[in-house]
Amino acid sequence: MIARTALLALLPIVAVIALTQRRRLTAIIGMGLFSFLLAVSYLLLHAPDVALTEATIGLGLITAIYVLAIRRTGRLTIVADEAPGLFVREGDRIVGLEHEILARFARHLGLDLSVQFVPHRDVADLVRSGEADVGAGGWVPGEEAGVFATRPHLDTALFTVGGAEGEAGEGVPRVRYEGYFADLDPKSLYTAETPVTLDLARFLAVRRSDVPDGSVTRHPQPRGYAFVVNERRRDLHSALDAYIERLREDGELDRLTRRFLA
Amino acid sequence: MAFSVGVVLFGIGLVAIAIRRDLVIKLLALGLTNAGSILCLVAVGDRPDARVPICAVCRDAIYADPLPQALVLSAIVINFAILALALVFVMRLVEQYHSTDSRHIEDLVQRDLDARGGP
Amino acid sequence: MRPRPFHLLAIVCTVCVVLVVLLAFHSVDPETAPHATYVERPVAETGATNRVASVYLNYRLYDSLLEILVFFVAVLGVRFYLGARERPDVPPLAESEVVRTSAALLFPLAVLLGVYLAALGQISPGGGFGAGVIAASGLLLTSIALGIDAIDRRIRRNAIERIERGALLVLLLLMLLPLPLGHPAFTDLLPKGAPGAVLSSGAIPLYNVLIALKVVAGAWLILRSFVRHRGEI
Repeated sequence: MIARTALLALLPIVAVIALTQRRRLTAIIGMGLFSFLLAVSYLLLHAPDVALTEATIGLGLITAIYVLAIRRTGRLTIVADEAPGLFVREGDRIVGLEHEILARFARHLGLDLSVQFVPHRDVADLVRSGEADVGAGGWVPGEEAGVFATRPHLDTALFTVGGAEGEAGEGVPRVRYEGYFADLDPKSLYTAETPVTLDLARFLAVRRSDVPDGSVTRHPQPRGYAFVVNERRRDLHSALDAYIERLREDGELDRLTRRFLA
Repeated sequence: MAFSVGVVLFGIGLVAIAIRRDLVIKLLALGLTNAGSILCLVAVGDRPDARVPICAVCRDAIYADPLPQALVLSAIVINFAILALALVFVMRLVEQYHSTDSRHIEDLVQRDLDARGGP
Repeated sequence: MRPRPFHLLAIVCTVCVVLVVLLAFHSVDPETAPHATYVERPVAETGATNRVASVYLNYRLYDSLLEILVFFVAVLGVRFYLGARERPDVPPLAESEVVRTSAALLFPLAVLLGVYLAALGQISPGGGFGAGVIAASGLLLTSIALGIDAIDRRIRRNAIERIERGALLVLLLLMLLPLPLGHPAFTDLLPKGAPGAVLSSGAIPLYNVLIALKVVAGAWLILRSFVRHRGEI
């Protein structure tokens, strides 16, 4: 039976492709396709009861509950890395200036707020690919394509730490470090080989007094913290800008800044 | 052939559980291991030139073995039960730690334990 | 993902396990095990032409009982853990009119298919589990079409819970009562009938319908909890 052999040989290929996807939704749909092929294989193996049950449960119920679990309707999805004063995890809750702004914004829109902590370098990618609505966490706009930044809500500066002398990177300096901020080790940061660029809030958290001279470079241009939105979500972008502007006019932004960054 | 494919699927699922960091993908891989085992069982009952074991009066023909098929029906339903409950636990975990990265969650748990000074 | 030594270890161990199992399987003679027991006897003994149904609802009845119990525990667990965070207002699951209309059209088909599979499980492929799941998927389709609030108003949770527990109770009684009385499980509640007829096979259609009721109620409760959950994954 050529058809059966071909179908059975196709199963591991589909499974591997489905499980190596980066997006969760694509993986779930891929496994749904796998379930369907599996059900047809059961038919070819003379097991119609099993085929029917696998098709209904594997393809119907399981795919349905996974998609329901990761659906984003009714939620405002934020991706961020931890940033002191702006976005910090405290036990069960998250506190910080940016979290407070976004929480109020979500309530204003009538949506649930959903926060995912991700490494800092992935924030722009996730927003660009549409997996998240807003990127935050001490994000400083550079020259990324495919995304918009809101008007900065707080001033900051960039510092490059470590690396060879004068190796501050080319082009517009951006916040750059590997992995999560909580994993950075202050002790080895200053003598590391690869330079790490941090914003003001993070730099203050890892600052030490006994650093070798010349290992810290301060970039002179003034920068500001902002939120990232996908360039196709103009409505969301303008709504967020308008909301922050209202906070600024009310003086609420100043009050919040003082509360979280005193 | 089907049995070999089933074992290979089980292996793929096992490797995916160990390697991928995203919790949801880990659960999908768990379901894959189950699908592989079930395929093995159904393949054992299949014979060359077999027919579906549904017949009013069975002639002298070779039929597929209905016993593994019946046992596998239960296995599929139990697989669904396990995945549903595991997904609920993953959702609670994500609500607590705001991340689906398993290694990051481990680090956060370790940080919480250190902050509290022991389990 | 950065490749780590642990990944290599996992791959090597898995490949070893897979090779060992494959070698073991292929080194054994594939004897065609005598399956006369489950192919020739069932029509005479149970009256069911679907041999698989006669296995899991007659010869292996208690396996099915335990499986129903596992499913029941899963429903309990999902409702318990997700019930605390239900949101009262759920935005519509599908934004387009086309999806909503076609979902509404498919619902009667789903219910019909469920009834058919449950009632004729003994003479054609199907059975209670598939029937219940298909009907629950149909209910999910209507909740996509009309909104979960409308469905919750019409199908009250109390009624669904009663159906689920009632079906489970009757199943437990039917399956467990004969044991202390020293009687094998009830298989002759209904007449055995002619093989291939709808009304045949003793108690098998009865079990199928009860299982289908239990599964449709349980699966709908699970799906409902997931739809209403306001979580953050």
